[in-house]
Amino acid sequence: MNGTAKRIRNWLEVRVGLDELIRSNLTDYRVPSNINLFHTLGAVAVVGYLIQVITGICLLIYYIPHADHAFRSVQEIMTRVPYGWLFRQMHVVGSNLLIAAVFVHMVTIFLMGNYKRPRELTWISGGLLMVITLCFGFSGYLLPWTQLSYWATTVATSIPTAFPVVGDFVSRLLRGGSSVTGITLTRFFAVHVSLLPPLFVFLMVVHIALIRRIGLSATPFGRSDEEKRPLTEFRKKLHPDGYPYYPYLLQKQALMGILYFVVMFLVISFAPTFFFPEEATVPADAFKTPESIRPEWYFLAPYQMLKIIPNKFLGISLQIILLAVFIFWPFLDTHKEKNIFKRPVLRGVFIAIMIAMVILMWWGRR
Amino acid sequence: MRWYIMMLGLLLVFPLTASGDYREEFEQGFLTKTWSGQQPEENFCIECHSSDKMKPEFLTLAEEWKASWHAQNGIACHDCHGGDPKDSSMSMSPHRGFVGKPSPAEVPEFCGKCHIGILKNYMESGHGKAFRSSGNGPNCVTCHGSHGIQQANIDIINEQRCTKCHSYDRARAMKQALFLTEKKIGELAADLLTLRKEGVYIEDQRKNLFSIQAEFRALFHSVDVNLVKDRTDEFSHKLAAVEKEIVSTRQELRSRRNFSAFLLLVFAGMGSALYLLTKTPKE
Repeated sequence: MNGTAKRIRNWLEVRVGLDELIRSNLTDYRVPSNINLFHTLGAVAVVGYLIQVITGICLLIYYIPHADHAFRSVQEIMTRVPYGWLFRQMHVVGSNLLIAAVFVHMVTIFLMGNYKRPRELTWISGGLLMVITLCFGFSGYLLPWTQLSYWATTVATSIPTAFPVVGDFVSRLLRGGSSVTGITLTRFFAVHVSLLPPLFVFLMVVHIALIRRIGLSATPFGRSDEEKRPLTEFRKKLHPDGYPYYPYLLQKQALMGILYFVVMFLVISFAPTFFFPEEATVPADAFKTPESIRPEWYFLAPYQMLKIIPNKFLGISLQIILLAVFIFWPFLDTHKEKNIFKRPVLRGVFIAIMIAMVILMWWGRR
Repeated sequence: MRWYIMMLGLLLVFPLTASGDYREEFEQGFLTKTWSGQQPEENFCIECHSSDKMKPEFLTLAEEWKASWHAQNGIACHDCHGGDPKDSSMSMSPHRGFVGKPSPAEVPEFCGKCHIGILKNYMESGHGKAFRSSGNGPNCVTCHGSHGIQQANIDIINEQRCTKCHSYDRARAMKQALFLTEKKIGELAADLLTLRKEGVYIEDQRKNLFSIQAEFRALFHSVDVNLVKDRTDEFSHKLAAVEKEIVSTRQELRSRRNFSAFLLLVFAGMGSALYLLTKTPKE
């Protein structure tokens, strides 16, 4: 370490206690010794969010949130702005990868039973983060103002009308009128860049703070170190026989973060139109309905479910109930056993739900 | 747990509070027609011309139009015939500009309301002169048809059609004069379509190509082989400019892919190096 760096380090040390800060957060912070790659998915999601923030700011400089200019400004970003295409591709591909990463993260947490007490609040904050991530995807989808985004949003914003009394109000609130117009675009833009980010940051801080406060949960497979004591007082999980966070888990997280970039650039290089179907290059036209309208892949299962349930109100209510069950699952599943392999009923239900989701997605895509 | 079950039960009962009318209305609209809210839902032209009350000779018109190039480009009945398709009582009213079926002598002016350049060249052509002198010469529908009109292409010039009135020699010479330029236009249109499928916004180039094509086809309607030959170079230059843009876009796409692949390799390299580090975890 040269003189200047040493002086800066000393300057920080006497003011914020840098050494202790690093020690307590990196080397003295112990993680379970049987931790696996799935424990890195949360960090992968953080990397994904950071990419979205950085590329989003780059797009924000050139994007014009007005119905007359939105499509054109996006085309300018793609063709004239230096590396604008790269930022947009990273933002679009990144949003899809991020949602996939968050899904897998939630599923693995579920499989490892890490939502169980005392981590109910961590699960709920994670579930809400996933909902906000989907809201990011939904609100951002309209912004390029293409045929694809216009009509997908028209369908999506008509869904609340299934509710009596409040349905029309909610739909009009989302659209800013009876149909999707420039007002809807500015509303979605405002939600996408100013309402959702602070909400998201707040929840992410709560989520990470809870993880650090309670301590990482070990995997229930193989050697399990979970205590089945009654929960009468707070006791942080310290894992004294575990590995230090740095380098053990941090390296794994960095590796997975890099893998996230690799997958992203793999899609951008060799399948650049994977998330850009033909309608995504046609400007929105309120008078020309495309032959097929379908939402993004992550909304395909609920979309298909709505289509097959004859009563749409029942269909939407059922989805809200399922979402509520998902978010409040730790309070419904009070069984002490974390290992899903020792719980055949839960395992069967989980497999059935996964198969149903895949079938609905495939069906919805047709 | 009792509370959860009660709450879930309450949520399941809640759907039943929806009124029957509301649900029915929603089911009719949702996932079927809701998204076409701004489009005129009613078209009395189509409705009447598809009904059993219509005379058989007029019954096929709507179906022919639906399969036509006009329909694909949003040109509806009232765009040519006038009238009000949304109001059954006024759908055929002259007060709403209804003109009905034009007489053979009115056909060129009827189509020429939109196809202005073509009308001018046609009127000055041998076809137009014959039409004006006899009132019954070849007009627009002779070659293009009417309600079932399809996208024009060079094959409209064929021996069967042209020899109805004259020998095929001049028509063949015209077809040969048009061939290369028409072929180029077709290739460029296909290239642009491919670019669009690759996610490129091609609307400006497409409009430019369409304008060149329209101008060239307007020129053809003069049925003057020498004039077409004389001006073919001019059109070739215009098409070359469009082709240059397409080539440049392709190069841009290639360089993007290369740059992205480079980033992919950089991250793959970083990942490999880190993997070797993580293989032997040490406290």
